Amino acid sequence: MATEVYRESFERRANKVIYLRFLEGLADTQVGPIYLGMWGALAFFSYLLCVFITAIGFGEQVGWNPIRFLRELPVLTLYPPAPSYGLQLAPLSEGGYWQLATLFLTLTLVFWTIRIWTRAVANQLRPMVPIAFSAALFLYAAIYIIHPISVNSWNEAPGHGLAAILLWTNHFSVKYGNFYYNPFHMVSIYALLGSTLLLAMHGATILSALRYDAHKEIDEIEKSDEGTHRSQLFWRWIMGFNATAHSIHVWALGFASLVAIAGAIGVITSAPFFEPNWFLWGCRADIVSSIQAACPNP
Amino acid sequence: MLSFEAKYRQEAMAVPPLPALGLGIAKIWIGRFYLGFWGIVALVFGVLGSAAWFWQVLFVDPNRTNNPLLNFIRGQIKPPPPEVGLSIPFEAEKGFWWIFVVFCATVTFFAWMMRQVDIARLLKLGYQVPIAFGAVFSSWVTIQILRPILLGHWSEGFPLGVMAHLDWLSAFGYRFFNFFFNPFHALGITFLFGSAFVLSLHGATILSASGKKAEGVTEDNVNRFYWDFFGYSIGEVGIHRLALWAAVLCVLLSNLCFVLSGTVVQDWNAFWDFWNKAPFWSGFGF
Repeated sequence: MATEVYRESFERRANKVIYLRFLEGLADTQVGPIYLGMWGALAFFSYLLCVFITAIGFGEQVGWNPIRFLRELPVLTLYPPAPSYGLQLAPLSEGGYWQLATLFLTLTLVFWTIRIWTRAVANQLRPMVPIAFSAALFLYAAIYIIHPISVNSWNEAPGHGLAAILLWTNHFSVKYGNFYYNPFHMVSIYALLGSTLLLAMHGATILSALRYDAHKEIDEIEKSDEGTHRSQLFWRWIMGFNATAHSIHVWALGFASLVAIAGAIGVITSAPFFEPNWFLWGCRADIVSSIQAACPNP
Repeated sequence: MLSFEAKYRQEAMAVPPLPALGLGIAKIWIGRFYLGFWGIVALVFGVLGSAAWFWQVLFVDPNRTNNPLLNFIRGQIKPPPPEVGLSIPFEAEKGFWWIFVVFCATVTFFAWMMRQVDIARLLKLGYQVPIAFGAVFSSWVTIQILRPILLGHWSEGFPLGVMAHLDWLSAFGYRFFNFFFNPFHALGITFLFGSAFVLSLHGATILSASGKKAEGVTEDNVNRFYWDFFGYSIGEVGIHRLALWAAVLCVLLSNLCFVLSGTVVQDWNAFWDFWNKAPFWSGFGF
């Protein structure tokens, strides 16, 4: 019954949509109606607070000079507290802004996940999108919450800023002895490049069979037709293996989730109590190739 | 054979060959595999190159152990030393086997792309898959052939080995003062993560709606979900266009980030000086 009510309200709002004519022939053109709802409102305000706190922190750093703000924007950073603060609250300008901004960022992501969940259920869909999103949420939690708590210092989390996130990635890799030797990172990168490959393969396959309606995937899963048959034979004749209209999407979800899950495990295991130096792990596992001289006992 | 396969094999037999491009020649199926002219080329050079690589890594590499799995992970074929330049060395210690394997791999990849063209033509499909494969083939050519030629020596190519190419990649980033500051690397990574994101969304979306026809769930439910969720639903054709372009752009942008390093830009950190030195800041007293 709730669904019927929802459908009615959709019909009422449907005349407020706009159309992007330039997308005609490429993709669907309708924009809106977007749904707000309680969880949407909470996510929106919590993100607004995160941005507001970040802006205050940046403003303080540039002496409230708007031109200096624009000039330094790429490197402006809200840094986490110094290691001496451990997991305690820090004064605002010494990392307190970072702590507040991170709190509201985390809340935003949680509210957003709940929002997607409620929207999926309201539209009679299985909550697969929020489940997939929670894999990314796990990676976020590993980087911003689980790892800092496990090493007892917020300082090891990334700062908020454009350059800051890149520098953190670089420093984290170096600090834990070169992430190229982290086997979980290897799996994550494998899945990341594999996801791009899978995406190209799937997108190209469906586009190549557009004239046989291969893109009507929800119908093709129920009863596959010429478009799916030709696509399946294409890959079967090339590499002796083919997915189905259903299983390719299981591969897709699995590979993309593996990126975040393996990455999160790689971050969590990079800690003094588990593996402080992945290069030395590589030396112990005897997999070091060109630079064996750098190992303690070559 | 799949239940519907015989009909399509008959249809493929009726497609006229195009000998100038090697298409539609040797229309033979071995089990489930299609052979074809380009399949023979790919098979011959693929086996040659792989055999050379495995032989070098498992039995010749000076760092080899008695454990073949370990050798597979840490073995490598090094590119020729810089003094070889762009000549073709015929001595093993001058990097002959690197040249040999790279040559075999390049021929195999090209043949594989043509094989995709061949099969797409026989099945009356579009050529999007070989085009996408061509993008990643261009990456191999850029990194292993084009960039070394631009810099004048094969030693700029990467070593052929599992751990060795990771070491090379790590060193390559720092050699040009950190690839994290390379804007094309940043764009490439954006599309790389973007691809994983799109793949995750698409896979999850279809799985969330599949097999629920009896409950009245159609594509409309997916559209409504995306309108609710972020105000736009790209549609079932659009998502696959986005997919193809996100993945292809990721590869093309990373080609750019490689080929510019060492040829045009030596220091990606100093590259950003232009921002602070831009003339428009001076008007504001900077």
